[in-house]
Amino acid sequence: MFKHLFKLIWNKKKQNFLLITEMLVSFLVLFAVFTLLMFYYNNYKKPMGFKYQDVWVINYDNSYQTKNVDSLNLYYETLRKTIKSLPHVKDITFVSGNIPFSSRTNQSGLTFKGKHVEHLNNFTVEDYYEKVMNVTLLEGRWFNKEDVVSKNKHIVIDSDLKEATFGNEPAVGKLLGNYDDKEKYKIVGVIQTIKRNGDYLDPGPGMYFRTDTGSFRWLDKILVKVDDGADAAFEGKLYKTMANNMKNANVEIEHLSNKLTNANYFALVPMIILAIVSTFLVINVALGLFGVLWYNINRRRSEIGLRRAIGATGKSVSAQLVSESMILATLALIVGTFFAVQFPILNVFDLPAIVYIEGMLVSILFVYLLVLICSLYPGKQAAAIYPAVALHEE
Amino acid sequence: MIRLQNIEKVYRTDTIETLALNSVSLDIAKGEFLSIMGPSGCGKSTLLNIMGLLDAPSKGEIRIDDQKTGGMNDKQLAQFRNKKLGFIFQSYHLINDLQVLDNVELPLLYRDTTAKQRRELAAEALAKVGLANRLKHFPTQLSGGQRQRVAIARAIVGKPEIILADEPTGNLDSAMGNEIMEILLNLNRNDGTTIVMVTHDENMAHKTHRLVRLFDGAQVQ
Repeated sequence: MFKHLFKLIWNKKKQNFLLITEMLVSFLVLFAVFTLLMFYYNNYKKPMGFKYQDVWVINYDNSYQTKNVDSLNLYYETLRKTIKSLPHVKDITFVSGNIPFSSRTNQSGLTFKGKHVEHLNNFTVEDYYEKVMNVTLLEGRWFNKEDVVSKNKHIVIDSDLKEATFGNEPAVGKLLGNYDDKEKYKIVGVIQTIKRNGDYLDPGPGMYFRTDTGSFRWLDKILVKVDDGADAAFEGKLYKTMANNMKNANVEIEHLSNKLTNANYFALVPMIILAIVSTFLVINVALGLFGVLWYNINRRRSEIGLRRAIGATGKSVSAQLVSESMILATLALIVGTFFAVQFPILNVFDLPAIVYIEGMLVSILFVYLLVLICSLYPGKQAAAIYPAVALHEE
Repeated sequence: MIRLQNIEKVYRTDTIETLALNSVSLDIAKGEFLSIMGPSGCGKSTLLNIMGLLDAPSKGEIRIDDQKTGGMNDKQLAQFRNKKLGFIFQSYHLINDLQVLDNVELPLLYRDTTAKQRRELAAEALAKVGLANRLKHFPTQLSGGQRQRVAIARAIVGKPEIILADEPTGNLDSAMGNEIMEILLNLNRNDGTTIVMVTHDENMAHKTHRLVRLFDGAQVQ
């Protein structure tokens, strides 16, 4: 029967061409939508890598300028003590501007086994960063005073960078070269990658450098870990403290949880727009398919009547029409899959291959489901055709 | 072979009730070639449809090959039609998108047969109607007479015991009509196939064993 149906479809290839094209276009649009969805979902599944809920960010422009490093350090250490002495403050840390959920980035590259690893996020952090952010340590240790003096600069890397360089092997104690491979960094710890771009976007691999004595010149953010009692009144108090200590500086306080909401919103907007467009397209395709299949049944009443007369049951007529639609969908999907597999093969958009494959599989299932739903009712209508009537209509 | 007892067929709409067949009783013997005649709208095709189990009577009983057909479900009716009955229609009802051989194979698709068996049986049936050289043609490439011969091949490919022909020569000129009639007569004579033919043509009807006339849904001869 399958061969018979295939022959019937092949002999009507001109009539079926538009229908196959419609299914193909739907598949390609759905592939784009589902690939993006899978990308978001895979990122969403990953752990956040730190606890952001009770962390506030103080943004300040660097007002205290002196060439004397000791004075500089004294100024900021005093500020640290002042803030830490406030009620509801558990811990604080000074950091570089590229904190989680901000749009700022600081990237460089590394050399590993003679090959460049590019687009690595660099973070400059203090020893307190671990406690404030509650990062998940996977291997080795976080920075401490032992890292002040060392033959090779000590770094902590995240799990994405570890996977990209060492795979499943331990990374602690191993060396990575800087981009020119002139300087070597020694890995002292591996932490869970922090989802710095929010729940849905890929953070990319990152490495952490310890602040040194001159870092306060350019650090412009403080992360504050607060307790449950920290409220708006406390936020006002914190602001006043900062303003009093940093005359003429612009100070702004944000909550990481709010920043995460904003980051997620900006990630989801294009997804939502694409989903709305594709929903309309899918509805259009569904109505088109439904209409074409219904029209086909009316055009083929004589054939359906004949098949009933020579031995087909109502169910088998219905199954035949549904099967024909599914074969057409299969032809469209074969062509569509050929185009879709080019994306992981050519590494378009630099997404992991698994994301494309998942997107492809879900799109294939969706197209089959759509075609099945759209052909079930026309198929049922076909089964209800009265052969005695259909055979006398011509 | 076919026994119809007090067959009545009533078509009902919201406002009108039409009596298409009124108490028709008929016995058709195995190997008989029977023709049914009558004016348009007298119920000939309705009677043929009821014999072919394509339509159910409002009243009465049909027995084919001593089997009661009244209580059969859709699947049983379909199997019965497939194995026992062959249909020939005035307008051929060939599928234009399939080649001649594929058209003839159609009834065998609903049986447990292999592709090879289907090919062989279809080719054999086509040879029987003189179209052995037209296997790969499409119906649109054939004349009316050839198309009807394909339809006959399709009707006989499953070796049914009964052939029901609804005005098989109605769309053909007399020469082609005679050719088709000759094929039907040969099938009846040589294979012993029981044939019931609806026709408007007196000449064709007189070539058969028995003629039944209908008028306003009732049997008058």
